[in-house]
Amino acid sequence: MSAPAAPATPSSIDDLPPAIEVRGVRRVYKAKPNPVTALDGVDLDVAPGELFGLLGPNGAGKTTLIKILTTLLLPTDGTARVFGFDVARQTTEIRRIMNIVSGGEQSGYGLLQVREQLWMFSQFYGIPVREGWRRVDELIDAVGLQEQRHQKISSLSTGQRQKLNLARGLMNDPWILFLDEPTLGLDVSAARVVRDLVRGWQAAVPGRTILLTSHYMAEVDELCDRLAIVDHGRILALGTPTELKQRVSAGSIFRLVLDALEGGVEPIAALPGVERAVLAADDATAPDGQTVAVNLQLTDDAVLGSVITALAAQDAHIVALQKSEPTLEDVFVELVGRGFGDAPEGDR
Amino acid sequence: MTQLAGSQARPQRDARGTWQERLLTWRTAVRLGWAVESNWADPVLFLIYSIAKPIASVLMLVVMLQVISNGAASTADLGFVIVGSALWAFVMGGIAGLAWSILDDRERYRMLRYLAILPGSLSVILLGRGTARLLIAGMGSVITLVVACLITGVPIDIGRIDWIMLLVCMAIGLVAVIALGTLMAAVCMQTRQDSWSYPEAVAGALFLLVGAVFPIVVLPQVVQWVGLLMPLTWWIEGIRRAVLPDAASGIGGVGSVWTDVTGTLAPDQGVILVVSMATTAMATLVAFGGYRWSERRARERGLLDRTTGS
Repeated sequence: MSAPAAPATPSSIDDLPPAIEVRGVRRVYKAKPNPVTALDGVDLDVAPGELFGLLGPNGAGKTTLIKILTTLLLPTDGTARVFGFDVARQTTEIRRIMNIVSGGEQSGYGLLQVREQLWMFSQFYGIPVREGWRRVDELIDAVGLQEQRHQKISSLSTGQRQKLNLARGLMNDPWILFLDEPTLGLDVSAARVVRDLVRGWQAAVPGRTILLTSHYMAEVDELCDRLAIVDHGRILALGTPTELKQRVSAGSIFRLVLDALEGGVEPIAALPGVERAVLAADDATAPDGQTVAVNLQLTDDAVLGSVITALAAQDAHIVALQKSEPTLEDVFVELVGRGFGDAPEGDR
Repeated sequence: MTQLAGSQARPQRDARGTWQERLLTWRTAVRLGWAVESNWADPVLFLIYSIAKPIASVLMLVVMLQVISNGAASTADLGFVIVGSALWAFVMGGIAGLAWSILDDRERYRMLRYLAILPGSLSVILLGRGTARLLIAGMGSVITLVVACLITGVPIDIGRIDWIMLLVCMAIGLVAVIALGTLMAAVCMQTRQDSWSYPEAVAGALFLLVGAVFPIVVLPQVVQWVGLLMPLTWWIEGIRRAVLPDAASGIGGVGSVWTDVTGTLAPDQGVILVVSMATTAMATLVAFGGYRWSERRARERGLLDRTTGS
């Protein structure tokens, strides 16, 4: 399966304003007994062409931010702009250039056929009739619903509905696509299809921007150029996945298994760039008693070369070498003090 | 795919929906509404809900009238009831059609959020969605009128129908029904899914106020005033006058507020048209303002994409 045919590459995207510009956005829901603050002074910039992720547990405020940016909800305070257009006042302009795909829902006119519903939306977006049908078929092929094109929507599986939803979201070929938990509830294979399609669509034309919310860390890690970790309506950290993970590890972590280590770990720990070198506490010696494991924390992968040289000088031979990296969940745990699964409330 | 080509491709900052765009949006929404309704309404269901039900309602009223009058109801009296209640199916379809579009798209199909983020106005889309129900209800009204007249022997003399009056009144009435439907849609945008019954409840209440099946002179004076301010009262009176010139007036009569205030037994055609237009204009303004307020409030409170059911 491939993404729909790409148009010619634009000459430049340099003169485009920021795809997303959020300043001091607060959103408070009236609720009993107390109001709920879903967003609490969010500032965010996303450049054209970025695939930006919002990562956070349920109730973090991700969906609320997307609703504000897609003009479905007004902020209580602050301003938000999409490609320079104000979400509160310039809704028509924004709606022409964006679209949203939400996951985990059963939306769709169940009595219509797949092709019929997509065509309706092509008309709502003002695409000429013939071009509309061409585009409908192109998108159906792209999302892999060829066999279901004449099937009623009510008979589609969850994954097929989500693909249909994605096709609808791409109908107007938006400049910016908001993906709100797009793979929620999908099996591994369907989620892969959605991710591949999204990536292919974005890569086809420079400037196409995606804001992805998810609580699947691997998905965000795999797809996003940059991401923000959100919790309780605040952005806790922002950067590339690598940058964020480095905040936790402050370097690279390796586990070495050696056939022997006569001189101990101290000479290794003293090497420049080695932040920590310790015998592994769990199984410092292998069951056969002939190997020894060492955990290393290095400032950079490149330091590993000098470590290997030092080990060779001690006549220690490497039996196994494993690099272990911190995950985004580690970042979240360090920032928040709890894991995703411990989130106290439903998503907003 | 269309091209994202730098600043030239950006929408103009003063871009607003043109009339052509609105027309396309409305037309597409009509098609969407018709596709959804016609899929739902297989021939048997369509016959039951759009024809059999209103015909049964009319005939029940006719039987009740005959029982109350010991079988002495004249064809003019029967015509009065038949025209009023046949038109009511149209009113019901119009009011409920727009309001149910909100509830259907939000609660059942869960598509309201995707309609709300379209460049076209949501009100135009809802109007288009409601138009399908209005068309179905209109067909039901016409069929009910013809069948009921044939069954009861009420003579409709095509040669005596005032076609101009009929057409003008229908046009004004259409606007009035849409205005009331828009107002109900504005209400349903704010309420939970339990509000499915609101449009029928409101239409039922109006049924008693506007002289659909009995002259409003039988109502208390205060309620008569309310009835006189309703555009539907004048619309039904105008249609009745155009189709059945001999039918009694639903508005005036001895002891009525109308007669007390104007000194005339019944309004003439000119007055009916003028008041009909004035009250419809008023209702349209209220509906327009109410809908705008409601949509704004829905955006403030996040009501456009909520689902209140399971």
